[in-house]
Amino acid sequence: MTTPMLRRDGRTRTMLNRLGFGSFVLPLTLFMLLVFCLPLIGVVRTSICDGDCSLVAYVDFATGKLFHRALINTLSIGFVTGLVSVICGYFVAYHLSRMTARRRRFFLVLVMLPFWTSILVKSFAFTVILGTDGIINNALQAVTGTDIVIPMIFNRAGVIIGMAHWLIPFAVFPILSSLLSQDKALRDAAEIMGARPWDIFWKVTFPLSLPGVIAGGLMSSVIGMGSFVTPALLGGRRDMMMANLVDFYVREALDWRMASAIAVILVLIALLILSLAAWLRQRQESGAAA
Amino acid sequence: MRFLTKNLSLPVIVTWLIYVFLLVPSLVVIPISFGTSNELVFPPQDWGLDLYRRALDPAEGWLAAAGRSMVLGILATTIALLMGVPAAYGLSRSRFPGQKALTFMLMSPIFAPTIVVALALYLYFATLGMTGTMAALAMSHAVVITPFILVTTLSGLKHLDRNIENAAMVMGATRLQIFFHVVLPALKGSVLTGGLFAFLLSFDEVIVSWFIARSDQPTLPVKMYSSIQWEISPVLSAISTFLVAITVVGSVVAAFISSAETDGI
Amino acid sequence: MTTNKLSLQQVSKAYGYVDALHPTDLNVAESEFVTLLGPSGSGKTTLLKIIAGMERPSGGRVFINGRDTTETPVRERDLGMVFQNYALMPHLSVFDNVAFPLKVRKTGAEEIRRKVGEALGTVQLAHLADRKPQALSGGQQQRVSIARAIVYNPSLVLMDEPLGALDKKLREQLQHEIKQLHERLGITILYVTHDQQEAMSMSDRIALMNEGRIEQLGAPRELYFSPKTAFAADFLGNSNFIEATVSEVSAAATRCRLSGGEELLAPRRDGVRQGDAVRLMVRPEHIRLIGGDGAAEDNVLTASSLGPTFFGDALEIRAQIADGSEVSVKVANNFEVAAAAPGQPLRLGWSSDHTHLFASGSGR
Ligand SMILES: Nc1ncnc2c1ncn2[C@@H]1O[C@H](COP(=O)(O)OP(=O)(O)O)[C@@H](O)[C@H]1O
Ligand SMILES: [Mg+2]
Repeated sequence: MTTPMLRRDGRTRTMLNRLGFGSFVLPLTLFMLLVFCLPLIGVVRTSICDGDCSLVAYVDFATGKLFHRALINTLSIGFVTGLVSVICGYFVAYHLSRMTARRRRFFLVLVMLPFWTSILVKSFAFTVILGTDGIINNALQAVTGTDIVIPMIFNRAGVIIGMAHWLIPFAVFPILSSLLSQDKALRDAAEIMGARPWDIFWKVTFPLSLPGVIAGGLMSSVIGMGSFVTPALLGGRRDMMMANLVDFYVREALDWRMASAIAVILVLIALLILSLAAWLRQRQESGAAA
Repeated sequence: MRFLTKNLSLPVIVTWLIYVFLLVPSLVVIPISFGTSNELVFPPQDWGLDLYRRALDPAEGWLAAAGRSMVLGILATTIALLMGVPAAYGLSRSRFPGQKALTFMLMSPIFAPTIVVALALYLYFATLGMTGTMAALAMSHAVVITPFILVTTLSGLKHLDRNIENAAMVMGATRLQIFFHVVLPALKGSVLTGGLFAFLLSFDEVIVSWFIARSDQPTLPVKMYSSIQWEISPVLSAISTFLVAITVVGSVVAAFISSAETDGI
Repeated sequence: MTTNKLSLQQVSKAYGYVDALHPTDLNVAESEFVTLLGPSGSGKTTLLKIIAGMERPSGGRVFINGRDTTETPVRERDLGMVFQNYALMPHLSVFDNVAFPLKVRKTGAEEIRRKVGEALGTVQLAHLADRKPQALSGGQQQRVSIARAIVYNPSLVLMDEPLGALDKKLREQLQHEIKQLHERLGITILYVTHDQQEAMSMSDRIALMNEGRIEQLGAPRELYFSPKTAFAADFLGNSNFIEATVSEVSAAATRCRLSGGEELLAPRRDGVRQGDAVRLMVRPEHIRLIGGDGAAEDNVLTASSLGPTFFGDALEIRAQIADGSEVSVKVANNFEVAAAAPGQPLRLGWSSDHTHLFASGSGR
């Protein structure tokens, strides 16, 4: 739809006009190309060429024990937190899905509050709660009258607790939306046919919410795998993840090439898992349509 | 099922425990911040505002850091809004080849591990000789928060009746006129909530800032991060309480705006 | 009398200040097909939900199979239900959908296979057992849903507007199939619809509902030929209403005068007195067009034609009578249209036996 007024203007005008509303996207596109894509390409380049060009960083990664440990930590912490987040998120999402929209609005603020709270505040709070001289251990000692100390911080448990706390909201939302999209008539039908609440949950509600569970699990795993602050502040030496290694190589070892290589591998892992998610969803949709 | 009373079954107890788990860390810092001791004890033995006095002491540097974060948040949000809102409008009102790929590219800072974005920007600005400048920080934060502006604006646009724009176009309005006089006023709510959340994100952002900011001019989260790493001082509880308060006010205002918007429709 | 499959005693339901259902009695005998018919909002779904246990009645008691089930949980009421939107489990195959009620009853695998096979055979879908419901047409999905509701031999099958989502042709076909199924298997069905033709063609008895009450309960013919209220007359079949005043009440008949001066005869009705304002009703198919001055009917009106409308199987002629109101007449489709061209004078005649008399202001 070209208006005469625009048509008689100069060349740029005509070009922008041909783009139509697409021209509104131009400024951001240019900005992102310059300040996001170019830097990312820079990382890939630096991982190979830093002064000279070689694959030495990748070879080191493939052979170094430290890297193996970080890789295994990243995958296993990501997997476990994903699992914990999905399980906790399911309870919350189920609870949210069975209330009136009005009440849900209030409870959603409760879920969003920790989501928007600074990760540093939460990390600080967890050191106060979980520490050897923290609230839980002090309470335990007062109750039992012993000097029992459960180590919950600066170890794997601390990382997983802290990360699950951060990631549960990411799991809640996809599960909630799949629970809310379920037709209540299905549950009514099951009940009339004689199903008990337990049967209704495991034979109707849960299988129908699986897409949300998978999406939420993969999402929180992927985000967890890239995390940096929580393992640094709540984990021990042995819980170093790939992100912390990136930091180490930039700051302490001053080896940009190695830092970049680790970053590239981290991105590849995230992409792999995200495409797995996309593939699963596609299979599900085509299965439903068949 | 409906005839059973709402008893306290195991799943219900577990659910409430999870809510407690979600909320306690944000709340526990508040009572601590009103203690006076130099040790972290809970509940505090004596009450007072000592920790706030120390947090506000210019010599400690917290105020300067907070001011830096505030300026940074405002700059980054402004950049993100100026580019993100028109972009969302353009994406929703046109079809062109490669649009999906472009949308994915514009959104990808959400999916990419932040550490990778941080490293990329660090290397990039180091090459340009801009590391540690406010300009570099603001642009970096804009990259991270623009996708959120896109998401909120796009979802606001979904609720707009396109026929109003079509009518304006038939009446001879240019695209820019339509954007400024028809679309923007109708989008006010989503733009406002999007901007608010984007500001909160930037204000709390730590990883990118940790790489880009100068170590003697930290943002508030960066100063907190290094402080927690070195020694866990009770002053942190006062800072944390301040951050929680900002978050609560921000979320409540945003929830209020968005619910006013949906109720209005 | 033997025990009823379903018996409602003074069942009522109020939502806040809204009386969705006034105290209602209803009995459904074994192997009976009873339909709740009524306009939207008349309380049909409310009644069905109370029977199913999905809503709690505000008062009264529900008996299923002679047992008081007012407080019984939904799953123990031994009911089957067919929903308007099928309510088939999208993650289960057709076979597993039909097997669902048997599985939750812990039926053995062999018996499940046999019974599901039988039920799917009954609805002629045995060949689609492995499909997912989404891969079936609307009519097929509803057949699966019916198979699922009968496979475990519940005491009573509830159907809430089961054909509402289907197009006309399919609807008629499934009406026929459900009717046959009912006759062949002797199941007891409580059916809900707002479609009067559907109700009349399928039911043993119809409970006509209006504003939270059963307005009239009886066989389809009874409701059609002897409607007790103007609402019943209006809701079932087509009807012409004529306003009149009672001029004379005799032992055999009631004589009524129209504002245009004509007089019409109606059967006697208790409680109607001289001078009462009444509404007379006659069905379009009971009116004849009388040629010349032949007067074989006891009720005759002169009218002026407003023109014919062709319906395929019949022709409807609308006409205006002296008091200005409209009357429609149904005639055979081979009727000579020119005789009913707009403005043509017509003579309408019908038997006083086909005239129904209602108090004025009743019904809609
Ligand atoms: N949950 C409810 N809350 C309040 N009023 C209701 C509710 N369900 C039904 N009603 C009211 O009860 C009346 C009967 O409704 P319903 O049984 O659904 O009618 P039908 O199925 O015949 O269309 C209607 O006036 C309806 O508005
Ligand atoms: Mg209904």
